Amino acid sequence: MVLRQPDLGPAILTATATAVTVIGISLGHADDAAAEHWLHDVVGVADLPGLVACTHLVRTPRPHVAISLAAPDGLPDLPATPADLVPAAELAADEHRAGRSGRAVRYPGVDRLVGTLTVAELLDFSAIEQVIMLGGAVPEPETPVQTRDFVRPQWINGVLTLITTAVGPGRIGPFELPDPTPCCADKH
Amino acid sequence: MGHHHHHHHHDHAASGADVPAPLDLSVPDAELSPTEASRRTFLRNAGLLGAGAAASSVLAGGHAAHAAPANDHSGGGTGGGQANDGEFVWLAGDHHIHTQYSSDAMYRVVDQAKHARAYGLDWIVITDHGNATHSRIGVEKVNPDIVETRKEIKDLLVYQGLEWNIPSAEHGTVFVQPGPNEVAVLKQFETDYDGSVNGTSSPSPENEALAIAGIKFLGDEVRRRRIGGALFLANHPSRRGVDSPHEVRAWRDADPTVAVGMEGAPGHQASSLPAPNGPGRGRGYYEGSPSAASFPGYPLESYRTWGGFDWMTSTVGGLWDSLLAEGKPWWISANSDSHINYLGTSMRGPDSDFNANGKYNDPVYGPLITTAGDFWPGQYSRTHVGAQAFGYRAVMDAIRAGRVWVDHGGLIRGLDMRVRRLNDQRPGAGATLGGTLKIKSGTSVVVTLDIDLATVPNWAQFVPKLARVDLIVGDVTGPVTDQDTFTAPTTRVAASFEVQPGRKRVSFSYPLGRVDRPMYVRVRGTDGNRSAPGLMGAAVDPHGPAMDVLGDADPWLDLWFYGNPIWVLPS
Repeated sequence: MVLRQPDLGPAILTATATAVTVIGISLGHADDAAAEHWLHDVVGVADLPGLVACTHLVRTPRPHVAISLAAPDGLPDLPATPADLVPAAELAADEHRAGRSGRAVRYPGVDRLVGTLTVAELLDFSAIEQVIMLGGAVPEPETPVQTRDFVRPQWINGVLTLITTAVGPGRIGPFELPDPTPCCADKH
Repeated sequence: MGHHHHHHHHDHAASGADVPAPLDLSVPDAELSPTEASRRTFLRNAGLLGAGAAASSVLAGGHAAHAAPANDHSGGGTGGGQANDGEFVWLAGDHHIHTQYSSDAMYRVVDQAKHARAYGLDWIVITDHGNATHSRIGVEKVNPDIVETRKEIKDLLVYQGLEWNIPSAEHGTVFVQPGPNEVAVLKQFETDYDGSVNGTSSPSPENEALAIAGIKFLGDEVRRRRIGGALFLANHPSRRGVDSPHEVRAWRDADPTVAVGMEGAPGHQASSLPAPNGPGRGRGYYEGSPSAASFPGYPLESYRTWGGFDWMTSTVGGLWDSLLAEGKPWWISANSDSHINYLGTSMRGPDSDFNANGKYNDPVYGPLITTAGDFWPGQYSRTHVGAQAFGYRAVMDAIRAGRVWVDHGGLIRGLDMRVRRLNDQRPGAGATLGGTLKIKSGTSVVVTLDIDLATVPNWAQFVPKLARVDLIVGDVTGPVTDQDTFTAPTTRVAASFEVQPGRKRVSFSYPLGRVDRPMYVRVRGTDGNRSAPGLMGAAVDPHGPAMDVLGDADPWLDLWFYGNPIWVLPS
């Protein structure tokens, strides 16, 4: 179900089964970092309890990053999505609501995921529901996870899932790095 | 140098009123002037004429691999190359090297060249990044340095090239045969077709079309005789997931005499050495995640290297195989991508002003660098080409023909792979890397492998030990309907050979049986230190390369070599 709420302009509202509204918004951010920056600095997501905020890679009408937000207690006023990006915002909201895709930047417990934690701790401290290795294997609960203070799980089949890889003997870490070496980097 | 067995061309009609006589195949050889005949021979040899020029598939009747012997070699000597099969001079090289004319690098041309030669290379390509500054200053200013280096190091071939920001995609090597117009052509190419110069790097149909136009421009410059040859190979193709399968196919099809391949392994192979004594990053700096610019179909696995190799190449039955199964010639290479080298002891020259000068000042002695991820050219990655002579054109011809194998860490010394009729045991018989064996349907065919093992230490001071050789076989199933296809369902490891230690040379053969359908074979070998079932399953690849561990992958302890394919076409 897609609802358009007049006071939020073209921002898109959908209702989840648990009645938490999911808002899609698209401002044409070029990459995840730009979208995250906007979430933190403009929306102030760090101060919204229970929020799940995701980024979504969208190819049309041009490649960009759309955003979805779901909060039990409502959200502050958000800028309007430009008309040509409304389908992208709708897509982001739909994907989030269905748990099909979406990379979670904010979710309950994210601030506790720092340093090295076990898989069991990571699941206990946060809204992450599942930790898998790239390729599908499931790590043992006591396996240490090197979080790099940057943990971005994603929706897979309705389950908020963290994909990890080995980062050394007996240790795993999130697949996504906070600081991948950019192309043509000035490394020195 | 020995004789060269002769292949027959099947020159398909390609005539037109505005085509010069040598290019017009409706004009028989006998009617050409001696000059024109020589020119036609040259074009034919370079794969620029007839079937070789037009074919984007081995099924279409031959390709550049069937070039007849060149007769106007542009050099002498063997440059240290080893003609281990008596037919070709095998010349090691690197087509991806940066200098002080790149904003993220620092060495002089001669620094790179001297190290390359010392590390055993015979040819190198200088590929500074395309961008506004480089197109305005660097592309011209680097040339005198290159010309001087050619004079100073006579047994090293030094090409001028460019690291092209492919519109709508990743980076690629573009380089040209030396000549009076080398700078002019590169400068015009960069100005008109570089994604950074023109702001066309983001993915879109328009930008994809610009990339195609750039490749066609290079081919046209060769046909107009402004340059003797031009090649394009895609660099680190899976690093950011932005080289979609349909773009790779479209590049190749745009001009198969120019767009010939991709890096099978990226450079930056020291980048995964563990901290604190190494950079502690992803091998090849492959450590990203999908972005909005990425091809959405690529799995996360494609963003990491596997035994140091790019996922497109390392996956048996993956993207590379999907091209080969189409019968599409597409070759792999392995290069340093040297910018700033691991354990280097120099730094950029003080008081540099890159934007104003188009270069950094000459490097000076500086503190030990443990955080850089690159090796010197030839120190770790090598691209071996089977040339018919030591010379600029011969090396480009060999690359275009796909007579190329690659190795890391000096894993092997020489590779002679043949597909031949079962009853033809003559050395040099049949088709070799990049070639095609045409047979009558039902002819018995065998693959033979003669591998010269490493006998001297590599640049980490140990003698590498080849442990296993895998022969990969796939059916040629013809053109795909979906240009974004990146699987080849019939391709699998057909045979594996264990290598007994203590020998200098090993030979294996594998019967393909009575071949009644088109197929291809390719080879891969490993030191056996790290392996895992392939991404298409253990039935396809029981002991493939394992995904490299971020920050904990010692490249010297995980060595592989790969050969380019050979096709068998029954009729």
